[in-house]
Amino acid sequence: MTLAAYDESGVADLPDRTVVARRLTLWLGLLLLATMTGSLATGAASTSLWAAFGDLAQGRALSRVDETILWNIRLPRTLLGALVGAALAVSGAMMQGLFRNPLADPGLVGVSAGAGLGAIAAIVLGAMLPAGLMASVGTYLVPLAAFAGGWVTTLVLYRVSTRGGRTSVATMLLAGIALGALAGAVSGLLVYAADDQQLRDLTFWGLGSLAGATWGKLMAAAPIILLALLGAPFLARGLNALALGEAAAGHLGIPVQRIKNLTVLAVAAATGAAVAVSGGIGFVGIVVPHLLRLASGPDHKTLLPNAALLGASLLLGADMISRTVIAPAELPIGIVTAILGAPVFLWILLRRRMVVDL
Amino acid sequence: MSFLGQNIRVDLGRRAILHGVDFCAKAGELTAIVGPNGSGKSTLLRALCGEMAFSGRVAINGRDAAALKGWELAGMRAVLPQAATLAFPFTVIEVIRLGLTAGVSAGCASLPLRALEAVGLAGYGGRFYQELSGGEAQRVQLARVLTQVWEPVAHGMPRWLLLDEPVSSLDIGHQLMVMQLMRDYAARGGGVIAVMHDLNLTAMFADAVSMVHRGEIAACGTPAEVLTDATLSHAYRCNLRVNCEPPQGGTWLLPHTATL
Ligand SMILES: Nc1ncnc2c1ncn2[C@@H]1O[C@H](COP(=O)(O)OP(=O)(O)O)[C@@H](O)[C@H]1O
Ligand SMILES: [Mg+2]
Repeated sequence: MTLAAYDESGVADLPDRTVVARRLTLWLGLLLLATMTGSLATGAASTSLWAAFGDLAQGRALSRVDETILWNIRLPRTLLGALVGAALAVSGAMMQGLFRNPLADPGLVGVSAGAGLGAIAAIVLGAMLPAGLMASVGTYLVPLAAFAGGWVTTLVLYRVSTRGGRTSVATMLLAGIALGALAGAVSGLLVYAADDQQLRDLTFWGLGSLAGATWGKLMAAAPIILLALLGAPFLARGLNALALGEAAAGHLGIPVQRIKNLTVLAVAAATGAAVAVSGGIGFVGIVVPHLLRLASGPDHKTLLPNAALLGASLLLGADMISRTVIAPAELPIGIVTAILGAPVFLWILLRRRMVVDL
Repeated sequence: MSFLGQNIRVDLGRRAILHGVDFCAKAGELTAIVGPNGSGKSTLLRALCGEMAFSGRVAINGRDAAALKGWELAGMRAVLPQAATLAFPFTVIEVIRLGLTAGVSAGCASLPLRALEAVGLAGYGGRFYQELSGGEAQRVQLARVLTQVWEPVAHGMPRWLLLDEPVSSLDIGHQLMVMQLMRDYAARGGGVIAVMHDLNLTAMFADAVSMVHRGEIAACGTPAEVLTDATLSHAYRCNLRVNCEPPQGGTWLLPHTATL
């Protein structure tokens, strides 16, 4: 499709949104590079990224402290932040495509809570597993359990809120509240069974933070998240067709059931892994896709990759804020994303065109 | 070549909606399905296009529909639902491009604009679908469906349009336009199956008519054979008389006299 084709039809004033979206991908890529650099350069310690680069360029070795701070603290945190942000934004966009609604967000409809329950169960009950088993599944246990929790929640949610190929938003949101509450309550029960060390892990984790980022956590979450992110583009065509409803998508030759199953799996994997390593970070999944739809339209072929890039940048930005506003202390990043995201969410509700299908 | 439904039975809950219906549409013809509200027209169409569970057999161009894959079916027939919804703010041209997702015409970038023109909406490509009037939205959906099976014949086989009330929310001018479009599609070798409410337009454009009444085929044949006083009066539960001027004069209007 070219711009010239539009000229013929007399709507030359409207640029082709596919072109806009592709151009946006480029800019978002640059933005991500910038935020990643910024994230590496910011921190409580006085270590300067630029001084370190200078040292390396002149062939001088880094000091022990600088190396630890940059390599073992900041770099995994930056990478984890980018991955988690991408995962949250893409799973939000996929879930909205699946539910045919811009308000479906894993955080909002209980999927994150379900994933959280899985993670908490793994942290608390994992200690009861035989040591040999623990050593072999080790770091993957929490992300996998979170994935399972998110998966079950998404499946139940879809079953409850979709009848005959139509998803009821009211049912979806209410069922999400119920599922979230249930998962929260069971998580609360599990917390009673936790010992002191586990309790500290849980509290920190529950607020949503990238502060605990280590190479170990990164390596546990990265394969799952990357798999979901790389798989997402293959769902784009199907999700586009699903906007017409399940039946119409089927008539277009889309294997609807397979697309639905894979989307649920991808959403659960990305959300689960993100929740497992960073706790509940809200609103990224709803704000990012929404802004991108405004900028370049709802086509999932470009929406999904752009959401990954913008989500990563946004989360790194929020993480920089959380590290600097009350330095040397840290604000949980979930607070920052909520303060930024909740007003945007309300704004979405106020705009009629977006909720025409409510 | 034909679109065939044999002994189609649909049960919803405990109710039988269709009781073993036989249906046949020929390629090169416009076949209308008529009948009163709730008689099972949409259900029949949805069974024919495989959207709904049914017992019986559907064959397209001699091939059993149950044995065809989704993408194969999508290349042979396109379906216009009675009521269409759309999530997300897609523009008109983006909606129509979804029709390119499937079928033989996949990848032909100029088709959406031609389809838009064919339904009388040239220049509407950049508008938001959700901001269209009901009749405009219906024609956009029709354009999307047309895009999916743009060539009436592909690989020597006719392709099919299955349309549920394609003209129900259109003004008389656009009704005639869309009916003519359907007729042209059939004339070029494709098959058209349309659920119709307007009996005048049916009489004017259809080559064959199947009358559904209470989940059964009450009559089928040419418009002249099916649209009779007795059949119509029985099905629609009111006294109807064909080809009869209003006794006390007054204003009346038939689409037959219009020229586009
Ligand atoms: N999902 C459904 N569940 C139960 N009954 C249905 C459903 N859809 C349609 N029906 C019933 O089936 C009958 C035929 O419906 P339909 O085929 O839509 O009629 P129409 O001829 O007006 O298109 C109606 O009596 C309707 O009430
Ligand atoms: Mg109907």
